Amino acid sequence: MNTVSAFDKPHFLRIFTGLVYLFLFVPIAVVVLFSFNSQKSLQVMDGLSLRWYEDFWNDPTLRDSLFTSIEIALITMVVATVLGTALAIGLVRARSGTSSSANVLMLVPLITPEIVAGISALLIFSQLGIALSFWTIVLAHITFSISYVTIVVRGRLASIGLDVEEAAQDLGASRWGSVRLVLVPALWPAVVAAGLLIFALSFDDFVLSFFTTGEQTQPLPVRIWSMIRFGVSPTVNAVGTVMMVVSISAVALAVLIPRLFGRRESGVKVLTGSEG
Amino acid sequence: MPVGRVGWRTRFEGTGGASVSDLKLNRKQLFAAGAGLALAGYGISGCTVERPLDRSAAGDIVEPKIDGDLLIFNWAQYMDPALKKEFGEKYGVKVSEVNFDNLEAMVTKLRAGGKYDLIFPSSEYVKRLKNEQLIRQFDRAEVPNAATLSPYYDSPWYDPNSEFSLPYAYYTTGIAWRTDQVTGMTESWNDMSNESAFGRIFMLDDFQEGIGQANLINGFYLNTEKSDELEVSKETLLEQKKGLRGFSTNTAQNLVSGAAAITQAWNGDVVNARNQVDDPSMFAYETCKEGVPVGTDSMAIPITAKSPGTALLFMNWMLKPENAFRNVMWNGYPQPVAGGREAFAKLVKDDPSIDVNLDELSNTSMEFRLENPDARREWTRLWTEVKA
Amino acid sequence: MNASRFWNWFVYPGALWIALLFAVPLFLVLALSFGHVDDLGRGVYGFQLTNYADVFNATYVPVLLRSVGYALITVILCLGIGYPAAYFIARFGGKYRYALVAALVIPFFVNYLVRTYAWVALLADEGLINNAIVDLGLTQAPIQMINTPFAVIGGLVYGYIIFMILPLYVSIERMDPSIVEAGKDLYGSPFQTFIHVTLPATQPGILAGSVLVFLPTVGDFVSAQLLGGPDTYMVGNLIQDQFFAASDWPFGSALTVVMMLFLAVWMVLYLRRATRGEAEVL
Repeated sequence: MNTVSAFDKPHFLRIFTGLVYLFLFVPIAVVVLFSFNSQKSLQVMDGLSLRWYEDFWNDPTLRDSLFTSIEIALITMVVATVLGTALAIGLVRARSGTSSSANVLMLVPLITPEIVAGISALLIFSQLGIALSFWTIVLAHITFSISYVTIVVRGRLASIGLDVEEAAQDLGASRWGSVRLVLVPALWPAVVAAGLLIFALSFDDFVLSFFTTGEQTQPLPVRIWSMIRFGVSPTVNAVGTVMMVVSISAVALAVLIPRLFGRRESGVKVLTGSEG
Repeated sequence: MPVGRVGWRTRFEGTGGASVSDLKLNRKQLFAAGAGLALAGYGISGCTVERPLDRSAAGDIVEPKIDGDLLIFNWAQYMDPALKKEFGEKYGVKVSEVNFDNLEAMVTKLRAGGKYDLIFPSSEYVKRLKNEQLIRQFDRAEVPNAATLSPYYDSPWYDPNSEFSLPYAYYTTGIAWRTDQVTGMTESWNDMSNESAFGRIFMLDDFQEGIGQANLINGFYLNTEKSDELEVSKETLLEQKKGLRGFSTNTAQNLVSGAAAITQAWNGDVVNARNQVDDPSMFAYETCKEGVPVGTDSMAIPITAKSPGTALLFMNWMLKPENAFRNVMWNGYPQPVAGGREAFAKLVKDDPSIDVNLDELSNTSMEFRLENPDARREWTRLWTEVKA
Repeated sequence: MNASRFWNWFVYPGALWIALLFAVPLFLVLALSFGHVDDLGRGVYGFQLTNYADVFNATYVPVLLRSVGYALITVILCLGIGYPAAYFIARFGGKYRYALVAALVIPFFVNYLVRTYAWVALLADEGLINNAIVDLGLTQAPIQMINTPFAVIGGLVYGYIIFMILPLYVSIERMDPSIVEAGKDLYGSPFQTFIHVTLPATQPGILAGSVLVFLPTVGDFVSAQLLGGPDTYMVGNLIQDQFFAASDWPFGSALTVVMMLFLAVWMVLYLRRATRGEAEVL
């Protein structure tokens, strides 16, 4: 190696990558830092206090919004994980016209801008005469979470050969039995990880909730939108920090759970969508 | 094999993934699919997107009695949370609030079947909602605290018997500026293109406020429906846009953060901004000689309300003098009721320009009203074109 | 029951759900785009082309072009920033590789509105950056950074760069390092090696990342709303306004359909690659 290019020179790359991390983390550090500000200012940090957290907790509408967001995310997580996992199994195992159409259908929501998804949801609910409510948000969230689950679980499924199932069937298990006894246990870590990712995505979602939110308590991101657009108070920083703690806990679990099942790398592979 | 493929494993190898090209649609099938879609389109043509709401409650008079928890649908940061809490404690109900960004969004959610108990429409929206049977009737005599309301509201143009709405707050639209940075203000809407603030001017992101001030500059009627006049006002707006920094209703924040040197503003937001800084005299407010748009935000009960009786009791609660006083001190907007008037006088004693002369309210030509749907469409389209 | 039919039963619930709550509503958007508004401001389905005629007038075309332009610049910036970072992590991250990737993902799970809003605090005239450079005496007066196209594009890059870095990381990590060595022998200069070996080998990641950044960026309305100025209106803002400020759902639908047509080429390209197994799917 006589000549060394920029891309082989970790010094340059190390500094550059460090700057990228700085770019990614400085704004978040600002939010967290100012959530502990004892002043109302969003510019000057002046002593530490928990007053914005107290404001958050003492505002019943914000508190209700927090719980609403968590409920939406939990229901979305359970339903989307079940449907998405089944879809992944079906797509990989079935080789039929149905599954190839379904495969395309499944991919489209992933690459559709969220605003289109929001409008579509608003239209179908209006058309069917379904009043916008907690449940319309849940329905919309589930629709766009199924595909994520399918992708993550399918990645894991690809690394499980057919032979184990066939072995189980040779030993007398029914087809359904082999799914229950072999496939589901093998997929379990990926399913749990996918579910937790969906929890975090649903919990943070703004656009879909914005279009489908109805008369009940608004989810936290919709509330934040109103707060940002009319007279900002630093409470937003406290709300943002709390949301961050909730969703990062979910993601951390998503990474850690496959490890607990003894697969060292699969946690990160879940996040990167790469296969085992 | 190209180098690029060396060492690179295809992703869904053996996973049964099918490709788009596997969906072999021949022309016949495509034609059938197209015809099917067209037929479906024909089937629903003429249908409205929204299902009609249950309007069976129209005509019934709302009784003031506790009939459930209360859900308020309001502008953000427009009501003191402590008042909601105390009402809930006094009557043993839960009071929740959700917010809208603009009135059109409020109507959209209402028509989509949102079951809110109390909403805050402006005057012209009270009339629209009343005409569409979207709000409910009550007996004003059952609201004792309405007795101290300013006489103008006994019979306003949008609700002649005051049986569908009661006023919550009123406001003027004018111009706010930074006294340490801007010179040469002239009490005219032309100040919206003051050169000393070029590039640091905000216009309210509200189609009526934006187009309205342009109409006033040109000497037209505030709510003109004449296309040629609107065309002239559009040119005025496009000219003003060159000096703008943005369209925004976040006035207090824009002033306090230093982004705005001049901003079109509702007077209550100027009070808010002044409350947030050490030296309130850094923000001044003027109303303009070409005309001062005025408005009232009212309280009304939607037809879909689950707890209309609680809502009516809450309206009475908000009009109680000491509550009105506290609410005005909290949100900075005057309320036309005993207590509210005194609180606002206290807030604006240093700068009378922020005050609203109640006589101005009776000048209904200075209130936004577009009753002709075609004119309304023309206005909203024009505004979209200005912003685009 | 034969095998195929058995497995199809796993497909039906999820596929039907997506069909009913995604595909059918998309058709409604298409149908409504030919409709009009009645006197009460409600959308009515019909067979008119007036909304499309309106979309293609001289006022709205620049907005469409601006959105696509911002999105392309965002893609290029994400690629320029993301490729070196992904390359470093994948090739030189060593045992910290996974921790580094996990750290990249963390900001993405902070609410998008809060993240964008943080930039308001940083970039404002009297915000943290301006205060710092004025205090250091670098400039007399604050520099206007917020309410500009730069701020909007910066917000978009910040919002969507993760969709670029992850697919890049996966395809760089998957690349066999020995082909780079082989390439060096063959092409000599490191730059030539990069162009002829590394770049083609990671092309699936580049493609997937670009599409995954481009598609959501075109439809974004948050960045322009919070960080933009008077001349940064994007098609997402236009559509959002039609639904919630102007109450013109049919026109909003027509704008949506036209936006989707702009995206269709990219979407089909991506679907073909993804279903054939030639692109990373996030």
